[in-house]
Amino acid sequence: MTGCLEASNGIEALQILGKEWVDAILSDINMPGMDGEEFLRQLKTDELLRAIPVVIISTDSTDHRIERMLALGARGYVTKPFRPETLRETLERTLGVPCE
Amino acid sequence: MSEPQLETVLAQCTEAVLEQMFFVRALNGPLPAPDSVLIVEVPFEGDPCGRLALRVTAPAARSIAADFLGEEECVLSEQQVGEVMCELANIICGSVLSRVESDTTFRLGSSRLTSDSEVFHSENAALHSVALDNGAILIAFDVERPVCPLGG
Repeated sequence: MTGCLEASNGIEALQILGKEWVDAILSDINMPGMDGEEFLRQLKTDELLRAIPVVIISTDSTDHRIERMLALGARGYVTKPFRPETLRETLERTLGVPCE
Repeated sequence: MSEPQLETVLAQCTEAVLEQMFFVRALNGPLPAPDSVLIVEVPFEGDPCGRLALRVTAPAARSIAADFLGEEECVLSEQQVGEVMCELANIICGSVLSRVESDTTFRLGSSRLTSDSEVFHSENAALHSVALDNGAILIAFDVERPVCPLGG
């Protein structure tokens, strides 16, 4: 990976994705405006964007939430708090390439 | 969940969050006298609903923010320090709720800086304090009943 783009909520993220291509998306769930669940739902309805792997990062570690996000198409789920290596491992598994 | 159980969960979650995401270890020493402080409040909805409040001494807040952002303390703005404290409160709150909520999905409200919080004065709030190298953190977690409906 060579760079990182930031958005403060799902609406901003979709706007950025309309102009920029990314290899992966890290998204929280609790965000103002458009939360992570709605963002993922909208992303998966877009023919071009739906293939981008999404990893959810959230404080919510309840089974039903994790199952729901994975069912919506998230490729990974990391619960906060996490150690940096946990995120790296999840990204490497998701992308299939080493992350430096 | 009883109040002592809730205080245990609050302590475990706080220390895990501080250590894993903010690289801060709690000390066993006495708490310093209150100095200039930052206060953050996070409302939450679900089963149960309520609020978490976090009060942190200003020097500790700046030090934690610097570690979290990987920056020198002297280059951080007050806004950056406040945003990191909001994130700290948000993560602790979500971590606690993941362990105390029922099967209902919970929702965290926006963390916000405030000049004081009623949560610290609630007789039902679970409290946990942490002594740090350069200050202290006090966290109060107050559960309200009945169950709050989740907003749209």
